[in-house]
Amino acid sequence: MENSNSYSPYSSSSVDSTKPSLSVNLSLSLTFPSTSSQRATSQDWPPIKPRLRDTLKSLRLRQRGYNTALFIKVYMEGVPIGRKLDLSTFSGYESLLENLSGMFDTSVICGNRDRKHHVLTYQDKDGDWMMVGDIPWDMFLETVRRLKITRPERC
Amino acid sequence: IAGVLTWATLLKVSHGHCLLCFSCLVTLVFVSPLPQFIYIIPKPSSFRLRSLTSNHISNLSMDLRLPSKVLEHILSFVDSNEDRNSVSLVCKSWFETERRTRKRVFVRNCYAVTPEAVARRFPETRSLTLKGKPHFADYNLVPDGWGGYAWPWIEAMAAKCPSLEELRLKRMVVTDECLEKIAASFKDFKVLVLTSCEGFSTDGLAAIAVACRNLRELELRECIVEDIGGDWLSYFPETLTSLVSLDFSCLDSEVKLSDLERLLSRSPNLKSLKLNRAVSLDALGSLLRLAPQLVELGTGSFSDKLDQEAVAKLSQAFSELKELKSLSGLWDVLPEYIPLLYSVCPGLTSLNLSYATVQMSDLVELITGCSNLQKLWVMDLIEDKGLEVVASSCKELRELRVFPSGAEGLNDTNVAMTEQGLVSVSEGCPNLESVLYFCVQFTNAAMVTIARNRPNLTCFRLCVMEPFAPDHKTQQPLDEGFKAIVERCKDLQRLSVSGLLTDKAFEYIGTHGKKLRMLSIAFAGDSDLMLHHLLSGCESLNKLEIRDCPFGDTALLENAAKLETMRSLWMSSCCVSFGACKLLSPKMPKLNVEVIDEHPLETRPDSSPVERIYIYRTLAGPRLDMPEFVWTIQKNPEIGVSHLAIK
Repeated sequence: MENSNSYSPYSSSSVDSTKPSLSVNLSLSLTFPSTSSQRATSQDWPPIKPRLRDTLKSLRLRQRGYNTALFIKVYMEGVPIGRKLDLSTFSGYESLLENLSGMFDTSVICGNRDRKHHVLTYQDKDGDWMMVGDIPWDMFLETVRRLKITRPERC
Repeated sequence: IAGVLTWATLLKVSHGHCLLCFSCLVTLVFVSPLPQFIYIIPKPSSFRLRSLTSNHISNLSMDLRLPSKVLEHILSFVDSNEDRNSVSLVCKSWFETERRTRKRVFVRNCYAVTPEAVARRFPETRSLTLKGKPHFADYNLVPDGWGGYAWPWIEAMAAKCPSLEELRLKRMVVTDECLEKIAASFKDFKVLVLTSCEGFSTDGLAAIAVACRNLRELELRECIVEDIGGDWLSYFPETLTSLVSLDFSCLDSEVKLSDLERLLSRSPNLKSLKLNRAVSLDALGSLLRLAPQLVELGTGSFSDKLDQEAVAKLSQAFSELKELKSLSGLWDVLPEYIPLLYSVCPGLTSLNLSYATVQMSDLVELITGCSNLQKLWVMDLIEDKGLEVVASSCKELRELRVFPSGAEGLNDTNVAMTEQGLVSVSEGCPNLESVLYFCVQFTNAAMVTIARNRPNLTCFRLCVMEPFAPDHKTQQPLDEGFKAIVERCKDLQRLSVSGLLTDKAFEYIGTHGKKLRMLSIAFAGDSDLMLHHLLSGCESLNKLEIRDCPFGDTALLENAAKLETMRSLWMSSCCVSFGACKLLSPKMPKLNVEVIDEHPLETRPDSSPVERIYIYRTLAGPRLDMPEFVWTIQKNPEIGVSHLAIK
């Protein structure tokens, strides 16, 4: 398991009271809640219950001016006609995937490459095609321009 | 050995004879082996049966020869299950009488015992309370599909305990089939309370509504429900007039206002109503007029724009709520509507503002009016200033919870709330005993002050949201602060620690936290020593949950025996190795040692750390419903056995 933070408190020596301040890595794990050491994901830290977390999320979105809908185009690889989706209606990656799986009538996942499933990718504001799921959801909403559901082998 | 009860009259009883006074509350205490005593205590009184351990039962050569009818009558006064457990240990016939008369059963870990065993032992159960997933499931740390299925319990109770009337489930998976089975099996079903449950849809609710003719309580507290629509509410028959409590605050979709109004009109005993967010402010007015007797109210959304007339009507409706003690909901409450609540404030003992994202200035007058408040849940938007108002106005306060408004983006901390807020409340509120406080940083000095002010604290949960944050004034670890807490608060039962902590903090907790039953730890400690201090020092420790701490095998294996005296231990993202789990399991047959890990374990080296471990004591042995990602030593990893014996 990779330690993605440059800082490790797990020293066996006595306490160093001048420890540098830690910036917590908020990368999001999707198929499984993150359990790598020192990674507090935005899904499980701080320890608040789901309903409160969702309420705060939507509050956050509203504060950032996401009152209006966020329609983006979604294409399934090999299918010329795409769909349009309002990303602001989803609370996170899970609900997005569920909806896409329903819309395209196939299992859509992100993250792990798999021979069986369609993998979701997106084009960010720089024009690059990226794997969906690596960054926190609200960051994703700010940068996503379009979605593509690829066939597994191409990834 | 029996304790001395100064108001009791001691009657020595010779074999075969006993003198009982039926108009008194009688408590029975046995001293092993002889003589035998009966204490007669005038009622009402609170008393504790001093219990025998099971060791004594073999020494007791004779029972008291009380006719079982007499014993039954006596037991009808014995409510506490702790006392009943003692009674059941005295001898076989007492065990039998007790088990046939027990009405309320609490199973605090649904995997600690089999449903069949419980249903068989207590056939007259009227009320069953069950808890499933471990507490950290609330924070997404337990993957979906882990377990906690209600079905086997409902099935077992339906078969053996048809008089079941009340079911209270927490953190369990409840399906629509479960709800349908409840509706079909228990003729006099009265109370369904589901807390943090999931797996069912509004169709299941409809099944309960339509079939349970004497339903008194239907409460869905923070459940995750597949919301197909608001129709379910219309399924309550016109003949249903017994409703006392209804809580559907966690549902999303709209119910028909007319259905709700009709329900309220025919529910004169309704004391508690918690609406969901979809119920508009406008609708609230007409609902309140139909239920002015409410003691607990959870409003819906508090943000529609109302005209002056509507506002006046709503204000009138609130002032009619003469019995109101508890207020919650208040989603999106607009500051201009807060004055609507002023009329109910003096009567309130409980106020839940955790979804009311209003600023401190809007709250001050509201809080000032709540002079009888005992429980306050609020956002950190209240700030230190607001908490000072709480300290000066809410002298009856017992429980304070402050939630982080900036939680969804740790960098966003424009809120002026520090440790000072909690210090003020600890100074001003003499009855404060339970605290849950989220903030960005804290100091040792503040904790020392709080401990000095409030040695009566029983629950102290401090969540410093920045992991490893030191005392922000001295840059020292928060060891000394927590030391003060555990040293001074001798009755502390629940503690959550956070911030920068070394092993010293846990040494203090182990030394002083003798009454501590539940302990939660995240991002703390230096080494294994931390766990060793806790397991060897905290005598009353019942539940321990740890995440992201650098602790591993040694302390766990050394203190393995301690685990059998606890309900459960949870560790995630620590350094427990696969090998240690394999060693631990055969040592402790009365424990289930579950490794919850997404990566396959068959090919793992023994030294590799496991993602999560959940250890709990059980009489039932390994469970049969483990998914693939849960591994126990009894499951053969090569075959990858997992069967989902549930619906």
